[in-house]
Amino acid sequence: MRTRYLSSCVTALAALLPLSLSAQMSPKPVPQDTVIKGGTILTVTHGTIQNGSIYIHDGKIAEVGQTVHAPANAIVIDATGKYVMPGIIDAHSHSALDGDVNEATSPVTPHMKMVDAFDYTDKALYQSLAGGVTTSLLLHGSANMIGGEAVVIKHKFGLDRDDLLFPNAPRSIKFASGENPKRVYGSRNQLPSTRMGNFEVQRAALQEAKEYMRDWDAYDAKVKAGDKTAKAPKKDLKLDELADVLRGKVMVQIHCYRADELLTEIQIANEFGYKLRALHHGLEAYKVADKIAAAHVGLATFADWWGYKVEAWDAIPYNAVMAMRKGVIVAIKSDSNDFARRLNQEAGKTVRYGGATEDEALRMITLNPAWIIGVDDRVGSIDVGKDADIGIWNADPLSTYARVEKVLIDGSVFFDVNAGKYGLPFWKDAPMTGRDGFGNDDSDGGVDY
Amino acid sequence: MKNFIRIFIALTLSATMFAQAPAKKSAPRSSSAKPVASSTATMGPVALKGGKLLTISHGVIENGVVVIENGKISAVGGAGTAIPAGARVIDCAGMTIYPGLIDSSTQLGLTEISAVDMSNDLVETSDEIMPHMHVSDAFHAESDLIPVTRMNGITNAIVSPASRDTLPGQMAFIQLDGKDRDDMLLVRDISMPLNFTGSQRRNQSFANSRYPSTRMGMATQLRQTFIDAQEYMQKWDDYNKKSSDTSKDKKDAGSPPKRDLKLEALVPYLQGKKPVVLTADEPKDIKTAMSLAKEFNLKVILESLTRGQIMVDEIAASHLPVIVGSIYEAPDTNERYDVEYSWPAELAKHGVKIAFASYDSHNARNLPYAAGYAVAYGLPYEEALKALTLNPAEIWGVSDKLGSLDVGKTANVVVANGDPLDVRTDVKRVFIGGRDIPMVSRQTELRDEYSK
Repeated sequence: MRTRYLSSCVTALAALLPLSLSAQMSPKPVPQDTVIKGGTILTVTHGTIQNGSIYIHDGKIAEVGQTVHAPANAIVIDATGKYVMPGIIDAHSHSALDGDVNEATSPVTPHMKMVDAFDYTDKALYQSLAGGVTTSLLLHGSANMIGGEAVVIKHKFGLDRDDLLFPNAPRSIKFASGENPKRVYGSRNQLPSTRMGNFEVQRAALQEAKEYMRDWDAYDAKVKAGDKTAKAPKKDLKLDELADVLRGKVMVQIHCYRADELLTEIQIANEFGYKLRALHHGLEAYKVADKIAAAHVGLATFADWWGYKVEAWDAIPYNAVMAMRKGVIVAIKSDSNDFARRLNQEAGKTVRYGGATEDEALRMITLNPAWIIGVDDRVGSIDVGKDADIGIWNADPLSTYARVEKVLIDGSVFFDVNAGKYGLPFWKDAPMTGRDGFGNDDSDGGVDY
Repeated sequence: MKNFIRIFIALTLSATMFAQAPAKKSAPRSSSAKPVASSTATMGPVALKGGKLLTISHGVIENGVVVIENGKISAVGGAGTAIPAGARVIDCAGMTIYPGLIDSSTQLGLTEISAVDMSNDLVETSDEIMPHMHVSDAFHAESDLIPVTRMNGITNAIVSPASRDTLPGQMAFIQLDGKDRDDMLLVRDISMPLNFTGSQRRNQSFANSRYPSTRMGMATQLRQTFIDAQEYMQKWDDYNKKSSDTSKDKKDAGSPPKRDLKLEALVPYLQGKKPVVLTADEPKDIKTAMSLAKEFNLKVILESLTRGQIMVDEIAASHLPVIVGSIYEAPDTNERYDVEYSWPAELAKHGVKIAFASYDSHNARNLPYAAGYAVAYGLPYEEALKALTLNPAEIWGVSDKLGSLDVGKTANVVVANGDPLDVRTDVKRVFIGGRDIPMVSRQTELRDEYSK
């Protein structure tokens, strides 16, 4: 009794001290020299290596091949009979935001930062890690034409919040058009209640940002020229973020469905001179895939979702492969706590619908989403120099029967099916958080599909 | 659970959808999307030759032959099986051949576009007790969802009303092809859900509540309903007895009791002639619903039971079949990630007869993959196949016609280029009632239109 009282006192005290707070979580793992040995290695970039090995040093892939040379004291993970693939990357997630997906109080909220709502103890991160996911892009929802800035995370479940943030990841912002903003603002009799309204709101915000940027650029030029009397324009977080979009410092990720909308989004980007990184959902991309490819815009889509609303009525499961064949960089994404747990199977469906090769299917959940997020130079394939984010599977990961057995992130094992109750080497059995069901996006009334 | 979420989405979206008719897009509605008049008698025999047969009832036959005649399976066997003269022989070398899959819970034919209310006939929500609703009255045989579903090898399904009411109405057992609606409705009013998951409660806020707002209310309302139905049944029994008593004057029987459609719909269940599908998830709800069922001697098929792990022995001891809940249900907070994935295996290990259901409509086509995923988490492969075919056929009382490759059964036969449970497998041919179904859906038409 007494000890328990004392320890809870200590906990209470610790909570007051920011430094001790992180001490409650596991200490950061020190990456050990590790060899994954004897598996079927699906490199994604340079084919499959049968009975191959990977040497991991300092959290990075140091060697990969039939044989590798590693220090004698390296940890050896025997992957005989197993499949080894890069960690899965989810380019469209709303997990671990405790339902704070949409700041739906105005259709233009670029100054929201998803990192401010990021719940690093959410069970959804654990469940998708146990499905082989190592990196996710957590996006604002689609209630607003212009949502907020996304956060890129690694699923290092059990570590402190900041340890889960993908270091120096490029900035992405969420835009949206179509039924969701129409519904949210239309139901309040506000602009935008139509697609005309959608795009007017978007253009007006960008125009305002253009002027804001011009004022700041003029001021900066004056200061640079030594003008001491130059007066700084008022700082506005909202326009600041959009100015960075126009300056090409923030990648735009757009939620949109219909073919005409996809074309409008490409057109507006051209009008204002910013770069679209990817169309998200884009269920009618197959109708205008050549134009998407020509604009060098990616596509993050579902494998087979359809019919849940009017703008998803022409969705076909062949979309991903048809767009890919026209040269679009295509990712299969989850948009749900549920599908994030088996993106490997979702990718497997592209083999069945449209005849993707196994390599192409794997790329849709690894290298291609890495490109969409802008981290393809660091993750998404098994190549020397990349982060050692690796899943070890009991069977071909595109098969229905595949289960992930171990997941390494930055060279440390964050999921091991045999580690304790949960399979989480770094989780100290503190209570997890997270809403039940998969409705982080559904339950707030702003369905984000 | 899933049903409820779907409804919720539909409700939140529907307000502004009202004005929008589901726009007809570029693809024409295919005639193949509709039930097509088929005269099986004139089709002539078909022989599927050289495939791997998953008979379900009597093992695997490599390099086998299935003969289809007059809408039925007329022969199943090895390479030497006699093929009738004049039969159309289809080379199935390298293919896997199996009986049509049965989905034990869908809303096929009750919805077209989830967010468009006018296209939905999912459940009457004006009251919790609606046993007199019949999904057969709403079943839309021309739904574009049906060809999409059957092209993945699903040939039969239960159509169930959404789970918002405790007694939402009568389910139907359908075939995913037929001359018309009547031909597709194989068994009307086959069973009735008895939902007790907590999500049937209404108006839980104190400020604006209506009975029943709690589980106590739900259970009491159900009990009263069944008592009323028992009394109703008794009144009619008495009347029928008197009016058929030849020793007495017919007039002594008096006038017949007033017919009550709601109570009348419950009579076959109180008589044990039909099973209720008792749907619950949490152990406490399973217990409450089971004791209600016992109180009124209801015949029971269990469904969902997603949180039933701690009472697996009790479930097994009941010897009742279980339609397993979605294995994609989220585990509770602080549960291991695979507690739901491994639940079908756990039930099967305890000797429980299980069947799978998609609990879906647009993506009911993914039914076999749930079974495959259960295999990844310990369910024996043969059990998984049975849980998509023969087990549901037995549970729904149609195993004389469906569920296996056996002579005399309806020719619902699927030909695929691999393992039916694998997501990568492409279904090449589907026979329903012996008809070689065109492998065309709204989705393939759009694909073809934009591939030109």
